[in-house]
Amino acid sequence: MLNALVVLVLNALPLAAPLILAAMAGLFSERSGVIDISLEGKMLSAACIGAWVAGASHSAVLGFAGGVLAAVILSTLHWLFTQHYRIDHVVSGMALNAMALGATNFINTKFLSTASEIPEVPKLPVHLAGAFAYISVYVMLAFVVPFAVRAYVGRTRGGLRLLAVGNAPGKARLAGLAPVRVRLWAALINGVLTGIAGVLIVDNAGRFTDNMTAGRGYIALAALIIGGWRALPALVACVAFGLFDALQIALQGVSIGGIQAPPELWQSMPYLAAVFALAGLVKRSRPPAGLGQH
Amino acid sequence: MRGWSTLWLVLGGIAVLFGAVMLAGASPAAVTLAFLKGSFGDASHLSQTLVKTTPLLIAGIAVFIGLRAGLFNIGVEGQLVIGALACAAVAVKLPGAGGAVLGTIAGVVAGALWALPAAVIKAYRGGHEVITTIMLNSVAGFLTLYLAAGPLKAPGQDHPTTADVLTRLPDLSVAGLKVNAALVVAVLLVFAVAYWLRRTVAGYELEAVGANPLAAEFAGIDRRKVVVSAMCASGAIAGAAGVVQVLALEGRFFPEISSGIGFDALGVALLAGGSPIGLLVSSLGFGALTTGGTQLAIEGVPKGITQVVLGILIVAAAALRYRKVVTVA
Repeated sequence: MLNALVVLVLNALPLAAPLILAAMAGLFSERSGVIDISLEGKMLSAACIGAWVAGASHSAVLGFAGGVLAAVILSTLHWLFTQHYRIDHVVSGMALNAMALGATNFINTKFLSTASEIPEVPKLPVHLAGAFAYISVYVMLAFVVPFAVRAYVGRTRGGLRLLAVGNAPGKARLAGLAPVRVRLWAALINGVLTGIAGVLIVDNAGRFTDNMTAGRGYIALAALIIGGWRALPALVACVAFGLFDALQIALQGVSIGGIQAPPELWQSMPYLAAVFALAGLVKRSRPPAGLGQH
Repeated sequence: MRGWSTLWLVLGGIAVLFGAVMLAGASPAAVTLAFLKGSFGDASHLSQTLVKTTPLLIAGIAVFIGLRAGLFNIGVEGQLVIGALACAAVAVKLPGAGGAVLGTIAGVVAGALWALPAAVIKAYRGGHEVITTIMLNSVAGFLTLYLAAGPLKAPGQDHPTTADVLTRLPDLSVAGLKVNAALVVAVLLVFAVAYWLRRTVAGYELEAVGANPLAAEFAGIDRRKVVVSAMCASGAIAGAAGVVQVLALEGRFFPEISSGIGFDALGVALLAGGSPIGLLVSSLGFGALTTGGTQLAIEGVPKGITQVVLGILIVAAAALRYRKVVTVA
């Protein structure tokens, strides 16, 4: 029993890692006042470009850099669209998701799956020795990031500026801050984090497939909301969703007491939990006050 | 300066598209020609475009109503598949006109009910309707997959699908051009919605809440009630788009029945701007994009490029039309 539990947790950690990174990316964006539903599109782009570059150059490190760069470009576009062109944040995010889905399909059919042999994505160099041999450094990084984010946002000048801009952009401006500039930094961090998350997903799978992020960006968003836009509660939500996912995989085809729970039920859990959180059934949901404002 | 930056945006979009076409090893002129041939070229391609336009138009109306009330119903996709499944569940049992009517009612009601949680959370809890509907889209996908693969699955099928429905909407084809009754209904619905928004008290209240919720409230309009009814009306029409997919086009329910119609519908409504009549034009454009994209795939340009075009169109339309008033830079 204990053994099965350890296996379950070890399976859950890599599943939770991209969620955690994406949720932290969302936190930076939404805490700066920019609604971000394009986490999904950024991760997908990073996964695709990462696989493409890594496959073409036979270098996992270059692929990593390429993937992160792709996500940073998308997050900069989101910043440009919402802050310079003043497009509605949701519209911009949706358009970016559509473009990412289309462009990755384009690249995948044209360059990644036409070769007679589908190139395996070179593995990132990861593993440590000893007791940590089962956990990659990237997973560990994912678990360190929320603590760093919490320390940064709550305790440093830059973090407090982020909160100020996100809560009351007008007042922040009166205090001498430039909301648009603060949001650019938030967007860049958002791009880097979603980029790493996307590269991790494709590194884990070994090759790119169409729409391979399969809604993880929305699950990360759900975790952020359930966590009340705070780093550590969001981390807990992501770990819970990772456990759900691992449990769902482990329980496939297993019946408990004669009843076989459909996998779709488990897969719906994160989304349902987010709806309940927004409904305020547990505690009234409190998003950043300036979300979506300029 | 603003004019210039919009120009840069449009030029950037066109440059991206040309770059992608060149990257695919095709010439832009040939691709444009193939696209037009594939969407409007002859009666059969034009028929196909009209077939794709029908659900897009109805789903576009659903998004449009939401937008007029200041609501962004991203949940049209989920409401559509739930409506389609509910309709199919009824229509596989009941033949004839009775089956069509009851199936339609089931689909419309199911769509409205699927929008209800988002409506209530928005009106009474202040939760952003975009987030709730995104989450409910995923739940709708899993729920319909489960039902189509389990309780409602047609016997003897390998893939998740319901049995064929026993009733269809009438076919009104003329001179080689395939026209379904659903298209006529969709066009009538556009005019009905236009009339309803302009000439009825309820329509006026809806637009008032969309334009300025606080002013509407001070004018004595029950803002929350309007938000709930607008969202449910939007969901009901989205459900009707699902009904059309089942009763007019596919004849059964399967999990991929929507293939993103609900998301394309957001583009349809955004491009139409504030005009219901604009929906007719933009839905035809998006219908052409879908069928033209199939032709492009045959010519060696991957279908994904149409999604990129869609994204660029949405951004360009939003930059021109939906720019917010400058407040704090």
